[in-house]
Amino acid sequence: MRYQNATAYRFLAPYLLIFSIFWLWPIISSFLISFQATRTVPWRFAPSFNWGRLIGDPAFFNALKNTLLILVIQVPVMITLAIVMAVLLNSPLLKARGLFRFAFFAPVVVGEVAYSAVFRLMFNLDYGIINKLLNSVGLPRIDWFSNVTPAMAVIMIAVTWRWAGYNAIILLAGLQSIPQDVYEAATLDRVSKLKQFFYITLPLLKPIIVFCAVLSIIGTMQLFTEPFLITERGGPGGGTETLGLLLYRQGFRSLNFGYASAIAYTMAGLAIAISLAQLWLTRDPK
Amino acid sequence: MSSRSSSSRSSARLGRSIALHLFLAPLALIWLFPLWMMVIFSTMPDRGIFSPSIELLPHGNFLDNVSNLQRDTNFIGAIGISVSVAVTYTFLSVLLTSMAGWALARYQFFGKGVVVAIILGTITLPYAVVLIPQFIMVARDFKLANTWVALIVPPLFNSLGVLFMRQSFSMMPGDLFDAARVEGVKEWRIFLFVALPLARPMLAALAIILFLASWNNYLWPLLINSKPGAMTAPVALGTLIGLTKVSWGGIMAGAVMLTVPMLVVFVLLQRHFVAGIAAGAIK
Amino acid sequence: MAAVTLKKVVKRFGVFEIVHGANIDVNDGEFVVFVGPSGCGKSTLLRMIAGLEDISGGEIAIGGKLVNDVEPADRGIAMVFQSYALYPHMSVEQNLSFGLRMNGNPKADTERRVKRAAEILRIAELMKRRPRQLSGGQRQRVAIGRAIVREPQVFLFDEPLSNLDAELRVQMRVEISRLHKELGVTMIYVTHDQTEAMTLADRIVVLNAGNIEQIGAPLDLYDDPANRFVAGFVGSPKMNFMAAKVVGNDGAVTVELANHGGARLRKPLSGAPPAVGAEVVLGVRPEHFFEAGEGDCDIAVKADVAEHLGSVSYVYASAGPEELIIEREASRQRANGDHMAVSIKAVRSLLFDKSGARIR
Repeated sequence: MRYQNATAYRFLAPYLLIFSIFWLWPIISSFLISFQATRTVPWRFAPSFNWGRLIGDPAFFNALKNTLLILVIQVPVMITLAIVMAVLLNSPLLKARGLFRFAFFAPVVVGEVAYSAVFRLMFNLDYGIINKLLNSVGLPRIDWFSNVTPAMAVIMIAVTWRWAGYNAIILLAGLQSIPQDVYEAATLDRVSKLKQFFYITLPLLKPIIVFCAVLSIIGTMQLFTEPFLITERGGPGGGTETLGLLLYRQGFRSLNFGYASAIAYTMAGLAIAISLAQLWLTRDPK
Repeated sequence: MSSRSSSSRSSARLGRSIALHLFLAPLALIWLFPLWMMVIFSTMPDRGIFSPSIELLPHGNFLDNVSNLQRDTNFIGAIGISVSVAVTYTFLSVLLTSMAGWALARYQFFGKGVVVAIILGTITLPYAVVLIPQFIMVARDFKLANTWVALIVPPLFNSLGVLFMRQSFSMMPGDLFDAARVEGVKEWRIFLFVALPLARPMLAALAIILFLASWNNYLWPLLINSKPGAMTAPVALGTLIGLTKVSWGGIMAGAVMLTVPMLVVFVLLQRHFVAGIAAGAIK
Repeated sequence: MAAVTLKKVVKRFGVFEIVHGANIDVNDGEFVVFVGPSGCGKSTLLRMIAGLEDISGGEIAIGGKLVNDVEPADRGIAMVFQSYALYPHMSVEQNLSFGLRMNGNPKADTERRVKRAAEILRIAELMKRRPRQLSGGQRQRVAIGRAIVREPQVFLFDEPLSNLDAELRVQMRVEISRLHKELGVTMIYVTHDQTEAMTLADRIVVLNAGNIEQIGAPLDLYDDPANRFVAGFVGSPKMNFMAAKVVGNDGAVTVELANHGGARLRKPLSGAPPAVGAEVVLGVRPEHFFEAGEGDCDIAVKADVAEHLGSVSYVYASAGPEELIIEREASRQRANGDHMAVSIKAVRSLLFDKSGARIR
């Protein structure tokens, strides 16, 4: 190919401009802000001001703990569910495939606010349909939002409902790219369907599963809307406060930009670690 | 002998098929349940929502709920803003990212490796990292809070579209573009009249995904456009959740107005939707 | 119409040199074929002439004008691609006229040119169709038509027939030959298929690993190849190469075949003969074996397999580790490992030194 600097940059320039102003520069800027005391005018450089506070802040560790807890429980459950959905949706025996696809994929188009409102109403103590249904089968109703554990459960259920189908779409595309003859050969070798799943499907799907897991982890790490709207600003008593919510509170309620930036960079650090883990997990075996 | 073995095979298949449906059907019903309830709630009067009876079928109060919602907040106006912003954003973003993707896929130029490395290297960084500087820049430095520009321009940085279009353009046979080049067709015309028409399915997938992302975007509009007349529909709806004297039937009617059009689009354009998501075009 | 001249043309990709200083003179109106195995640099050379690849060193001139820094569109060339490169979203007519329309060519002239191309290629009834509604041969015609419409001084063909089946390939070959006669313009044609090269070319350029091995008329390459590579590449089935050793050089050279029980061949040379004891290679084409006793040196071989093509038969024979292909008159005789004797003529054989250079 020939070198065509002028032409190429004419096509690139508009995007690169936006990309630099609203992505690259903020990445750097955020790092710089995290080293400044931002509640004085003018801001002053104070390296340990925010980071020092972060290390000793119980609110930060509470949010970190909650976020990790959600990550550790919700992501594996959701990915497993997504794999099951994808494999079953891919079955040639399935009838009414379109209906099932709609059922599982539809949440993908539902906005965070809309579904947060519905979940909040569904899990309402006195009038929520979930408690009514529990009552009708003789079970005690649960005060979902006054206790930490059930509140956490609602958040995880909501996020799983919203994103399982999304991951199933990606996994299904991966499944469909596995050549059919591999399975035909295995069938001729008398390998059962279940063994085919564990010894053929899962290994071939592994890079995509890891990709989904990483996407989900990075997404869940920034969880904001669900605890903001469903459990009422991270309630009860900060029991469902996530890093995303803490960042919002510090940055945009208290206007403490320096401290919020330090929180943001903690999340970035986690994301980088997870991306590196992904590279390591999907590396080519030597 | 052969007929017996084939009938035992087909009955085994039937058994597996039944088991499959017995497992999947309840799961599908559970998955549809929240959407169903959203629709049911939106048709019930507030008294009905907060009554002890179990209601699983629609009532006739949808329009009353819409007017209740309109009383609580100017939702129709907010929908107008949301539609205009999503349409403009989608158009601009498709244009910018496909131009950039084209350059990265089809030209050799100085600095290409660096540009690609920066895009790939920062793509998994959480959006939260840029939130604060973006806010300071747009609200304080550019003084653009509560404007359309604030809603449309900053989110254009999204680089997944660039990678998606780069991938799409590099899968096309290069001879096509060389053929046009030999015929003396200018590069921007090759892009416009050869590359873009060929990329139509990919552009459709990208456009749908971007439109959806903009339509449902919550955090950024919440931060930057919080003045009543400037809110998008999700933000306007969000302000009502948690207030005491609001109509929940109204909120549900709003949720339905936000969701059902997207569901219709999803059903009509499922192929493009799935293609866009499968290619990882949004997070 | 124009001549094309390449002077010391070099192509590098990073540190890899793909073409090592090519010198080629294509005369005005000539049909020249670049032929060689895949990866020999023939397509790169063609794309450099077209201007689709930068030139790392040397000069390319078209019609006497240096074109190193001239845009592809301004070189007076048209190119037909291996994949046809038809725009799938345009009709045949739109495909043919696209370049002209994009450059603001007057409408009447565009129509005239498209009509003429359609007549030359007999595709007038296909004008409204899309490429995917055409057969392989029809697509090929449209691709050529798109080149004709440009009314170029030089046509460039990049393996245009390699996506067609055998029968269509023969048909299109004839078609392209006819086109060359009708238009009378310079054509440069790249292929890996030596049959295409032999049948189409006025002159052939044989390339190997970025070097030009030989340039010449088809039959000159066949009769008088410059080296073992060209000898092996031109002709089908391939020339047989037999290991031999020089045992006498009294004016003519006498060689002893290594795998044929001491059989010797005496071959007059025009140049200096190699030293006694030197290892050499004797090349004999399958069609140049004669009945035992008719040539200058008889050898015995074991006939392993016979292929009967109807017109002739090919016997796949062996002698020790050496495998030979021998053309015989058509027969129905099966080969079952029986022995057969054939004869070699000195004038119908070629001698190469160990490095592959011809000993004349």
